Amino acid sequence: MSADHLPDKESTFAPELLAQRQLELLQASLNRAHKMVPFYRERFIENGAAPQDVEKLEDLARLPFVRREDLADHYPYGMFAVPLRDIVRIHTASGAGNKPSVTGYTKNDLALWKSLVGRALKAAGINDQDIVQIHLDPGLANWGRDYKDGAEALEASVIPLTPLSLQKQLMVLSDYRTTALITTPVSAGELLESLARLRAAPLNLAVKNLILVGEPAEENLREQLEKELSLTTWLHWGLHEVPGPAIAFECEAHDGLHVSEDSFYLEIVDPETGKPAKDEGEIVLTTLSTRAFPLIRFRTGDRARLVSTPCACGRTLRRIRWLPGRTDGMALIRGVKVHPSQVLAIVEGILGFVPLSCKLFTPSKEAGQGLEVRLGMDDRLFSDEVKELEKIMAGVERGLCQELGVPVRVRLMEQSADVCQNQALIKESL
Amino acid sequence: MLTIRNLKCWYGGIEALSGVTLSVGQGELVALIGANGSGKSTLLQAVCGLLPGWKGEISFEKVPLNKKKPQDIVAGGICMVPEGRLVFGPLSVLDNLKLGAYLRYRKRDHYGIKKDLDKIFSLFPILAQRSGQHAGTLSGGEQQMLSIGRALMARPKLLLLDEPSMGLAPLVARLIFDTLAELREDGLTILIVEQNARAALMIADRGYVLETGRMVLAGKAKELLADEEIKRAYLGKDYARFTEGRA
Repeated sequence: MSADHLPDKESTFAPELLAQRQLELLQASLNRAHKMVPFYRERFIENGAAPQDVEKLEDLARLPFVRREDLADHYPYGMFAVPLRDIVRIHTASGAGNKPSVTGYTKNDLALWKSLVGRALKAAGINDQDIVQIHLDPGLANWGRDYKDGAEALEASVIPLTPLSLQKQLMVLSDYRTTALITTPVSAGELLESLARLRAAPLNLAVKNLILVGEPAEENLREQLEKELSLTTWLHWGLHEVPGPAIAFECEAHDGLHVSEDSFYLEIVDPETGKPAKDEGEIVLTTLSTRAFPLIRFRTGDRARLVSTPCACGRTLRRIRWLPGRTDGMALIRGVKVHPSQVLAIVEGILGFVPLSCKLFTPSKEAGQGLEVRLGMDDRLFSDEVKELEKIMAGVERGLCQELGVPVRVRLMEQSADVCQNQALIKESL
Repeated sequence: MLTIRNLKCWYGGIEALSGVTLSVGQGELVALIGANGSGKSTLLQAVCGLLPGWKGEISFEKVPLNKKKPQDIVAGGICMVPEGRLVFGPLSVLDNLKLGAYLRYRKRDHYGIKKDLDKIFSLFPILAQRSGQHAGTLSGGEQQMLSIGRALMARPKLLLLDEPSMGLAPLVARLIFDTLAELREDGLTILIVEQNARAALMIADRGYVLETGRMVLAGKAKELLADEEIKRAYLGKDYARFTEGRA
């Protein structure tokens, strides 16, 4: 084991010490949220609960959940726990309703986040000798910033997130001698395909580590990437809402993702009943250190299984295995979470009316696209001029692309049209 | 080393602490800050066994302190430097220090006591100069030094200090805090309760903020020092003009 991979003391806690610190931070966080955020205060009262009811970590299960809809309902600043003057960064993430989720960070929050992302990258062997390239879709722009900060904290040389074509990204990857790449599994797959196409022009890549973020990576894709590019892949799990990426990270044992339990309290619940699940279920997260935007029992929609065996790396932070699929009807498009109601609201805003139907499709591998949106044709959309129809589609595509930060393709369909066999229907909005 | 969970204390019918959780690790210097009446001193009194009827858990080196008498708690290794010094005015400085080693005299540790007296005198040379003087005639700063020295004479594993800078001139207060930092460097575990938040957090490893009997913040001392809310509430920074026109 190289020195770079040794777990730092911040990743190794005696169980009773971690439990004590978590309880201290949790109680302080609950008291602050109760005092500063009317939403939490009212929610506690509605449920006949009070912060002081939480006398041990397990008591947290008595408190109600927070969902993405709650964040949208309190747009823009209703969930902030500090005065606006203490906020140094405001971030907007795709939400679950008509409004996005707006979150804020204090100076201390950003410093904490930088250290957490730095720790996760350090676990992947990133150090001051590395050239780190960040290649994410615009919808993950805040993660790009957080990874830049985290890598800079390790004094690595960072090529920040820049909107470049795939070809240009490859050029940078090759010419700049990038040693670590941070991207989504979809983008990594695209890079691999492009490299295969360019096999004639030899690309002498120096990439040693590939950090995969945004969505669970399939094992066969990881194996393929590792084999064909001679590198090591590392998986990170994070949230689009507070505070960001790398809340859970893979270590050199590659046997699940360590959750940063010193800053978060992790619960795995049965998505149907909301009761604690034995090992597999939905990830529910409570922030312990976040000042500006405390989240108490936030239902992430992500699915995971707890790994109960001790990790070979020596870190004591608990591990999860990130499972594919979601529990909340949202779609993961190139790592970006998209909610059908959000898409519908954007489409309505552009068209000026709610379309007859609006169906979302996950990207098909062949198409290499992002989200596909199919709008049901009716008199309001119909035009006998093809140009006019193309103009409408292009307008909706542009608007959705801008709002969601992922590539979008819009198609018009007859109301009775069936879904394509090779694409999965996410959800019908109407 | 010291673990407190869900501590609740009452003064008459009033709940002074409403479920406070806190811990001090071996060799740590931890600061507990908060405004007047937030319950800081109450917490120390409960730890020392001076406040009956508290609820929750207090344990020191994994031993519960629930039914322990103050003298047993001192014998177990916890000593407090009380608010307002509380030195024995009519007694000499030397006798005050010797009284701190009361339990050790009973164990006939005369050699150790002599050695520790020398240590206290080298830590606070002014006390050596005034060793024959009545403690009541000392200045506030000297009395604070004596009070700390007296507590140290019991050879505590954990030193609790209640507002050690109260009523002291800034230079004297700084000397006291420098000494505490020195003691921490030597391996002593310290829990300090202070209204002078900046001074306490400057020397502390971790800190807690207590507000009307409830813990509202916990974290590394340097993070708390940088926290805007703490700066406004406890570090005396006036931000009014920067905030005009904003929410």
